[in-house]
Amino acid sequence: MTPVPQPLPPPDTFDQSSSMWVDEAIWGHRLYDEQLPWMVFLEFLNVYIHEVEKNRAFEEPNGLNMLKYRAAHRLYLRNILFNNPHFAEIQLNYPNDSNRWDEWLKRMRSSIGIIHPQFNYVKGHFHTFGDFCEVVSLIRSTSLEVNSNKRWTSKFVFPYGKDCLYEDLDNTASTNDRRFFGRTGEILYLMLCRAQRKRELLAALVKRLKKTESSWDSIIKCLQPSDEEEMSGERANAFLPYEQHQSFDELAEDWLAILRLNIPGFDVFPHLVNLAGLHLIKYQLGVSRQVLGLTPLSLVCEVVAPKKTLVREISSDCYQENNLLPAQAIEKYLANIEMGAEWQQALTANGAFEKGKQILREKVRWGEDYEGPNDPIELFASLKQAAMKRHRQHVANIHRNYGREIGLVSKRGALKLRYAPTDTLLKTLVFANVENRSELHQFLEKLHRRYGLVFGDKDGERVLPKDEFDKKAFQANSRRLEQRLASVGLLRRLSDGCAYVINPYLVEVA
Amino acid sequence: MTNSKWIQFLRHYGPVPRNDNMYDETIQRSARRQGIKPIEFEHPLQAEIVNCFSRVTLDPVSVILTGTAGDGKTHLCRQIWKALNGKEEEWASDSPYLTLYSRYPKDRKTWPGSDDPTLYRSVKIHFIRDLSGWAPQQGAEWEPEKEELLEKCCRSFFDPDTNDIFLIAANDGQLIESWRRLKETEDVKRARQVFEELLVEDKKQRSGARLKFFNLSRASSADLFDRAIAAFLRHPGWRELAESTPGQNELFGPKCPIRRNYELLQTELVCSRLRALLELCDYNGLHVPIRQILLLLTNSVLGHPEVKDHLMVPGDVPKVIADGTVSKASLFSNIFGGNLSDIRRQTITIFDYLERFQIGYETSNRIDNMLIFGEGDEHLGQYFEELLVKDRFYGADNRFYAAKNEYIEGTNESKDNASEFMDMLVSQRRGLYFKIPNDKEEELGLWELTVFKFSGEYLNSVLSVVKTQGIVKRPIVLRLVKGLNRVFTGMLINSDRHLYLATGGNYSQAKVSRLLLEQVSVDPSKGEKIVIRFDGPSGRVVLSVFFAPDIWVDFNLTLIRYEFLSRVALEGALPASFSKECYEDLLAFKSQLIAAYIKRQAREQAPEGPSIGLKLLALTEQGMPDPKFVEIVP
Repeated sequence: MTPVPQPLPPPDTFDQSSSMWVDEAIWGHRLYDEQLPWMVFLEFLNVYIHEVEKNRAFEEPNGLNMLKYRAAHRLYLRNILFNNPHFAEIQLNYPNDSNRWDEWLKRMRSSIGIIHPQFNYVKGHFHTFGDFCEVVSLIRSTSLEVNSNKRWTSKFVFPYGKDCLYEDLDNTASTNDRRFFGRTGEILYLMLCRAQRKRELLAALVKRLKKTESSWDSIIKCLQPSDEEEMSGERANAFLPYEQHQSFDELAEDWLAILRLNIPGFDVFPHLVNLAGLHLIKYQLGVSRQVLGLTPLSLVCEVVAPKKTLVREISSDCYQENNLLPAQAIEKYLANIEMGAEWQQALTANGAFEKGKQILREKVRWGEDYEGPNDPIELFASLKQAAMKRHRQHVANIHRNYGREIGLVSKRGALKLRYAPTDTLLKTLVFANVENRSELHQFLEKLHRRYGLVFGDKDGERVLPKDEFDKKAFQANSRRLEQRLASVGLLRRLSDGCAYVINPYLVEVA
Repeated sequence: MTNSKWIQFLRHYGPVPRNDNMYDETIQRSARRQGIKPIEFEHPLQAEIVNCFSRVTLDPVSVILTGTAGDGKTHLCRQIWKALNGKEEEWASDSPYLTLYSRYPKDRKTWPGSDDPTLYRSVKIHFIRDLSGWAPQQGAEWEPEKEELLEKCCRSFFDPDTNDIFLIAANDGQLIESWRRLKETEDVKRARQVFEELLVEDKKQRSGARLKFFNLSRASSADLFDRAIAAFLRHPGWRELAESTPGQNELFGPKCPIRRNYELLQTELVCSRLRALLELCDYNGLHVPIRQILLLLTNSVLGHPEVKDHLMVPGDVPKVIADGTVSKASLFSNIFGGNLSDIRRQTITIFDYLERFQIGYETSNRIDNMLIFGEGDEHLGQYFEELLVKDRFYGADNRFYAAKNEYIEGTNESKDNASEFMDMLVSQRRGLYFKIPNDKEEELGLWELTVFKFSGEYLNSVLSVVKTQGIVKRPIVLRLVKGLNRVFTGMLINSDRHLYLATGGNYSQAKVSRLLLEQVSVDPSKGEKIVIRFDGPSGRVVLSVFFAPDIWVDFNLTLIRYEFLSRVALEGALPASFSKECYEDLLAFKSQLIAAYIKRQAREQAPEGPSIGLKLLALTEQGMPDPKFVEIVP
């Protein structure tokens, strides 16, 4: 495996007050586990649309990691959709259309986050209050995580178009909150900025978004006042530590493949989201392995079997091992500092403690609050502890949370977590990797080469030690995969030993 | 007893451990040795394939025969070899690769009137009659001369002036696999692409390639069955047995189960019911090769669970009669492999396919009432008499009466007793499937004995109608449309005059789709219509949805999909295991329909209106769609 590229330093203009800079130095600012892939995608869209309008999408014109953008708040829309439990009651108690409007407008005066809320504009867009209710309930039913019990300011309408995009806000709807928009979408955006095929990708995204049904965005617009939307302050400080990386290129390639599919407009989004999640996992684990100087990543997948199988055990061990990689990378990263000439010199110099503190301030932005003994060795031990503690809070959970969310990791039918892809994820993988059709073995080989996914005996034999590998178990595993693919209409079996994986949504002719 | 040689020979077609008669080569050899004629009949594609090389052809091209094991590839190769006057001794050799020369007109336009050698060109025909026997084992290297030959073969596909053509028999997996292991030259790559295309798209030819491709696995199993059973039944071995005037308890005597089974197979009813199962396999996309059909026929006549290899030899017959286990040799049970162990049965393709009908395990109250309480009953008694009592071989025998009595009135509550009777019920239900006469089919609910309750209707009111260009009854079309509507909208909709195409707004495949895009009229109207028709080239029954005379989408209406839609229409839902694959297929169909709809709308060039209209689908209490039109003024 190629060694990890030289990480970029954070730009000088960066907000220096932020806390420790260890996870960030390895993977960027930042991977955030509570921001699940759909939210990553939404945050990405906010950045992307802003940059498209400024005519600089995927460009980074002011230099690497100098991204600055603004996001909308759309509080009228959000109050109507998610902070408006009045419809049923009003329709029941007020038989007359104009009474209904009046009552509703009255109640909406107490909307949150808007100074002097005025919803009168809505009336002009609908013939009756009933129509208005129908449309709102339809839009609500398609919004993301409809049934979650998140606060209303963290609920999101489906991204039908640019008028549907806004950022996560705190309870009072006044300031932005990094709870569900934790910058991972910014990371995703920067990854694509640094992919080799970013121009093609931009063209494909523009084309695809243009082709989506525009009436939905227009309807969403009707729920908002016509005057200029107020934008947030400047959002800055996004950081991705590498100028280029294989995973950036592969992510862009996969997105390109999906965008070219001949399927109805918005149906591509779930696939883009799944792939974003998958590539973020791959990026995190892949970089970890590079930091540790290990061979490329392998994800041994079980195609769920009715009973416990050998593959399930191997998969679950493989999951455990991979799950520890980011923490090991942190240890290694810190060990490199500790073993480095600078630190070692400091240890023997006069005023070792102060020098050490200075070094750590520069390298990892840590030490201000240190209250332990004035001993550089203690100081470093304390840094290690603090770094691990911080890592475990969020960054360490990306693998598990994203893995579960996109359907890669699961406990289905078993006690322990392991890689057991769902049909939905398998579909996404077929769409991204099969242009028209591909022989099954070649498809499996490609999945292994591009993502490290292992299903069949050939790849299993390649990555596993001899005493762990069992040919029959892996053959049975790929037979199950074959059945699963066939059952969702993605595989055509010819006769003994010959099967083709089919992408039924033939790629569009350009 | 010289005649028993036939039975000994026949056994080898059956599920014996050394299934010698599986291979054309070995059948020919053992037939010669024993002086018995093998079971032979003309393959439906034989004439067409032989003609690729005969005088009908002026400019022959290479031919590839693919198919599953037992489809008759080697057999067909031998027919061509014979037609081209190849030497029989050479064919009888073990070599998987043979060649011969044949001459064709030089101008490639007409056969010359004279024998003048300058008017002919000599073409070398390379027979690779068994590619897997000829190509190196997996992992081994190609021998240079073989690799060269295949490279030459690839070149010949694209070279009109070549004087080498090839006949290759291989199953499709081996074909692709062998070609992948060749050196990657331009021609090899091109050839592989052509193979892939022809295989996956089910085509015979592609322009630009001098090659004809016959996939024997696309032949109709029902057609093969007709030919196989005719050849099986008229084999002279049977006549000789009958003419040997056997005694009471001997082979082919009046009490002999082999004779009984043979006679049952000859009856129109049994034969047509068995054929129906194979035809239904065809329309479920399951192909049964010739070898499996012969295995089925042999097993159904010779099967018995308690003899060696579960197939009777002449010597077993007197013992079976003496032991009173004749009923265990029942043809009706043997057809489903009931004489074999579970493990053995599951490994045999044909029994795996037939098991999917669940005949013997599926039933209705009426059928079970008749079997258990029918004796002497006012209404059911006559059926019991007709279908069970009168069948002296496999109907109600003393064991059945005893077990039935014990089941109804017995005091022994042990599980064993009940399960013995349950096993008997299974074999009686299987018998009923073959015994209920055609005119009682509906009255007794014949198809309730299978998992596909609608298969009788599928055969009689759909397949046979569309094959003769007839029009399927309207209620059937409407029922399928209702099923489609329920799947497409995710609501228990009852409408069947229109097909409702709806989406979830942001996701076309949403489980519940409330946003109505379009209603397509079932009856012809402004270019729209929905029909069930037979698609000749693919041999499939398709449901076609027309948006305009030139914009339509076909849906392959397999038996399982027909059953699925019918049940969704009538009952509302299905057990999950049965429905998943169909459900996915239907969602893919919906995507295609939406794409077709968009294509048609693009033609309309509707002016950008000042308002946006949405059609929201809701249902009335009767389940009738009540679309609500909502207008939004931007």
